[in-house]
Amino acid sequence: MCGVSGIMYKKSGSQGLAPIGADLVRMLDALAHRGRDSTGITVAGQELAEDLIVRVWAGDGGEASDVLARAEQAVQRVGGVIGSSRSWGEFLRLSVNYEGEIPALAEALIDTPDVELHSIGETSEVVKDVGDAQAIDEKHQVGRLRGTHGIGHVRLATESRVDISHSHPFWAYPFPDVTVVHNGQLTNYHTLKRHFEDMGSRFQTENDSEVIAVYLAGKLESGATLEQALRDSVADLDGTFTYLVSTREGLGYAKDRWSAKPLVTMETEEVVAMASEEIALRRVFSGEIQRVEPQESEVMTWSV
Amino acid sequence: MVSLDAGELTTRQLNVRLKELAQAGEEIEVLNPQARHNIAVGIFHSCKISIKGSVGYYCASLLDGPEVTIDGNAGWVLGENLMSGKIALGSDAGASVAASMRGGEVIVWGGAGARAGISMKGGTLVVRGNSGFLTGFMMQKGRIIVCGDTGDAVGDSMYEGVIYVGGETGALGNDAKIEEIGEDELVALWDMLESHGIDGRPHFTKIVSAKKLYNFDGLERLEKTVV
Repeated sequence: MCGVSGIMYKKSGSQGLAPIGADLVRMLDALAHRGRDSTGITVAGQELAEDLIVRVWAGDGGEASDVLARAEQAVQRVGGVIGSSRSWGEFLRLSVNYEGEIPALAEALIDTPDVELHSIGETSEVVKDVGDAQAIDEKHQVGRLRGTHGIGHVRLATESRVDISHSHPFWAYPFPDVTVVHNGQLTNYHTLKRHFEDMGSRFQTENDSEVIAVYLAGKLESGATLEQALRDSVADLDGTFTYLVSTREGLGYAKDRWSAKPLVTMETEEVVAMASEEIALRRVFSGEIQRVEPQESEVMTWSV
Repeated sequence: MVSLDAGELTTRQLNVRLKELAQAGEEIEVLNPQARHNIAVGIFHSCKISIKGSVGYYCASLLDGPEVTIDGNAGWVLGENLMSGKIALGSDAGASVAASMRGGEVIVWGGAGARAGISMKGGTLVVRGNSGFLTGFMMQKGRIIVCGDTGDAVGDSMYEGVIYVGGETGALGNDAKIEEIGEDELVALWDMLESHGIDGRPHFTKIVSAKKLYNFDGLERLEKTVV
């Protein structure tokens, strides 16, 4: 079991950024019973539109400060100019002025020993760690992050190990600002992974959910709209899934053919929010909630 | 009427209080449920419980006797394994409403999600709106009445029991078939629905098991030893 949540303030693009981080922390805290192994969020929005935001974890090997210094060197080696650098413990957040191709930057980081790359985004960033929502908020101050939209995940690991890199969201390497959170299990994971590796994709984990991000990146790169990519995924992914995707433009979800994993959504003129359970929506919204439970094979997208 | 504020109680405390009050035959109102899980479960006495707001998973499950009304939505598996009594939900139910129910009535005034009435073993499930994918999956006894439409795979692998659909019937599931509905049967259904305040008199389609997957002789193990 896992829990997912997502929220978008429809007018925040024009009327100012919203407390996405704080909302996601509250929603994920309400879903803690669905998984306490790890928690992660993506926050997306214009305020973050520096050059590129790079989020890195120093992994399990080596002295964290050495690993993070190597990550900075890797960025500089491919021509990135580091604007700001903030590190705490084994984590590093860089803003990078970079004119080159994103895959070259991503590969430089992934090929650096002990560096685990969590995301590269133009308008979004991924924060994930082991522990529950409150622990993540205390350690990473994610409740302070503001944006236009975001997604989050609490994990109860089933198919792969519990560590920070195997936590959600998964970034759709090498596609900036596309990230995915997933509740379920994919039964054709190995087939899909081999296919995408043959096509040149690089996987950073053994988590089946990562293949959804890679799948969507491929679809988007070949020109599909997000909605079409989601629709195709319902046929191409086998197994059980409710997954949410965050892109630069907004949010989307897709549900499997058996409606095996839960999701409820609500929408007002101001906000669209979704979560595995209504209990999470009620942490953020009081009063009457017109919630909808999407059914099998349904997909939906929203734009800021 | 005794009022309990769920916001001030843990779920366990709330259920312990509900059981005590039910045993004393009280009429009980539960405030601020906030879509929490496992509210009003495991109660074996006749009593009236009114829940003011949305509830989470497994609400009003494992009941034998109570009459529960809920002003709001329910999450997955409302009324699991109901033995007797009545559950009335004001809005929409999540997936697997009335799973494995054996008796009594579950009435959903809104719509129901996937697998409504999964593995039902008796009693009546009424859905005033539409119900989702795999309605009546593996049902073994009882009846499901959906006044609106159903999703696909309706009645998949059902053994016994009947599903009535007032609106559009989705694709039939494995081993389900449509049977002609009798006039008396239809009138009796309308009467029953009207007694609950559901008008409209839909012309129901009746779905039963085709029994092609059926490998039972109809006797339970203990009955066989007697024969």
